[in-house]
Amino acid sequence: MTTPAIKVEGLHFSYGDIEAVKDVSFEVMPGEILGFLGPNGAGKSTTIKVLTGQMPPKSGRAEILGRETGRDDPEIQAQIGVCFEEKNLYLNMSALENLDFFASLYGIRNPDSLGILRRVGLADRAKDRVHSFSKGMRQRMMISRAFINEPKVLFLDEPTDGLDPTTAAQIRTTIKEEADRGAAILLTTHDMNEADQLSDRVAFINEGRIVALDTAENLKLKYGERSVKVRLRDGDGVREERIALDEPGSSARIAELAASPDLMTIHTEEATLEAIFIKLTGRGLE
Amino acid sequence: MSLARIWKVLRKDFAMGPRSPFFLYALVLPVVLTVLFQFAFGSLFEPKPRLGIVDAGSSEITAAMESAEGIELTLFDSAEELRRQVEANDLDAGLVLPAGFDEAVRDGSRPPLEFYIGGESYASNRIILTVTALDTIREVEGGSAPVTVEVVSFGEEGLPLTLRLVPVIVFYALVLAGVAVPGSSLVEEKEKGTLMAILVSPVKVSEVLAAKWLLGLVLTFLMAVMTLLLNGAIGPRPFDSVVVVFVASLLTAMLGLLVGVISKDSTMMFGLIKGAGVILFAPVLWYLFPNWPQWIAKLFPLYWIIEPIWQVSVMGEPLSAVWLELGIALAIVAAMLPLIVLLARRMQARMAAR
Repeated sequence: MTTPAIKVEGLHFSYGDIEAVKDVSFEVMPGEILGFLGPNGAGKSTTIKVLTGQMPPKSGRAEILGRETGRDDPEIQAQIGVCFEEKNLYLNMSALENLDFFASLYGIRNPDSLGILRRVGLADRAKDRVHSFSKGMRQRMMISRAFINEPKVLFLDEPTDGLDPTTAAQIRTTIKEEADRGAAILLTTHDMNEADQLSDRVAFINEGRIVALDTAENLKLKYGERSVKVRLRDGDGVREERIALDEPGSSARIAELAASPDLMTIHTEEATLEAIFIKLTGRGLE
Repeated sequence: MSLARIWKVLRKDFAMGPRSPFFLYALVLPVVLTVLFQFAFGSLFEPKPRLGIVDAGSSEITAAMESAEGIELTLFDSAEELRRQVEANDLDAGLVLPAGFDEAVRDGSRPPLEFYIGGESYASNRIILTVTALDTIREVEGGSAPVTVEVVSFGEEGLPLTLRLVPVIVFYALVLAGVAVPGSSLVEEKEKGTLMAILVSPVKVSEVLAAKWLLGLVLTFLMAVMTLLLNGAIGPRPFDSVVVVFVASLLTAMLGLLVGVISKDSTMMFGLIKGAGVILFAPVLWYLFPNWPQWIAKLFPLYWIIEPIWQVSVMGEPLSAVWLELGIALAIVAAMLPLIVLLARRMQARMAAR
């Protein structure tokens, strides 16, 4: 049986009197992407900080590759890669110098920094100082830095936040590649589409608690409302009808409308993760 | 603690150094201050009297003036040229010795002597040159001075002002390289979040702090030694001077680390350095004003490193004369260490909670 790369059991963390993480438990297997979804202040970043050893848990247990976190353990730190939400790069160093320096901290003697920059499309700017980079380029630098030690566990905190669609798609591709390599990835985001596209499983976190954890498909099946939208001609105009598939008599009604000469279009409708999140928590993600 | 990881952070800091204004100030300011003080006070307070002589007959006076260490002598062929240079203030005074002047003095025929004085010359130089010239002529005559002069010296004889200013320059070298460089380096890493990026790698916070401390230590040591060399104040025992400078570097780099750990951001760090600057600088004043009560100077922490540098490097005392001061300096370093460890834990928690 494969050991989970990340294992969290009953994790609690509080800032003074404010409880930021309450009894959080989950596992991420090697090669799996777990989308950690929640609005700002839900406890996503705090959970990552505890898991990456920045803060010790107040109670509960968190393990990375079978070793307990929060003990300033270089063995764990050597196996993880972190992409922070804050673009904390050395702006006065070139892209290459940034990667080479961090590679040296992991004891990597001949890092393929240029190869990593090539993966994120920054090879032609390798020798330029980072302060001359655009926001998207800096974000790509952040991703490439998280990859420098070929980590077994990756923590990606809002990796595509505020990026243009092309850059975001490029970054999603590289994240997928890392998972295919075997890295366990904990991806925090409040972009439901991104979570849907990338994640093998999704955890909804709200006010410090995980309120749902499953594959996106299962969450949709479990909490979503399946329906069919039918458009029909109505004299000179158009009329729409939505039929909930789980309601009794829905099949007969669909068959009836399908046979109608006024039928224009018929579409199945799938619940979005955002709609499910709202249904479960009573609040949106923004 | 891994020495290899400390070295990697330290190497990065030294490589990044020339891109940091504080690092550059630390390299440049002691040199600039040395040159400035040497230029301003070296020539302002110690100008040699400049005398010109036209000697038509190989006078003994010329020979005597040539051998006088404290006078800058220039010989001329013509009285006109000599006069022109005195008028232009290129010389403080000019003496025209006609042929047979020495013989005439010895005969007692009281020959006339042309002595030009520059109107813009320093009064002290005029007096020195006049008295020296008259004294030399009396020696040529064979007479002796009508009085016996008993010289009583006050203060520290032979200590030029430029040497008295050495503690000021050394202070700046110590504070800039030892306090500001490691302090600002750490604060900048905190502000820009790069420290957190380092700390999620295998590097521990203690290793980062050790690297910052070594950065201050190495830079302070080099700059303080260079400052002493530039000021000709390395002392008769260079090894002893190196030891006291090393202890001074240990302490100031530790102070820099303390400032860096305490400060949340650059604004707070500048405030701290400005506020504490008065306390740090205070002991230096006692070297400029040695008549002030010395016990007050001992209340300030940097006294315990400035005094050994002064005694060993400037005054030429052996290490054994300052062991107590060095011991107290090392005790201050040891006392700061647990405080820094405690504050570093708080700093890490604060950063993570940001």
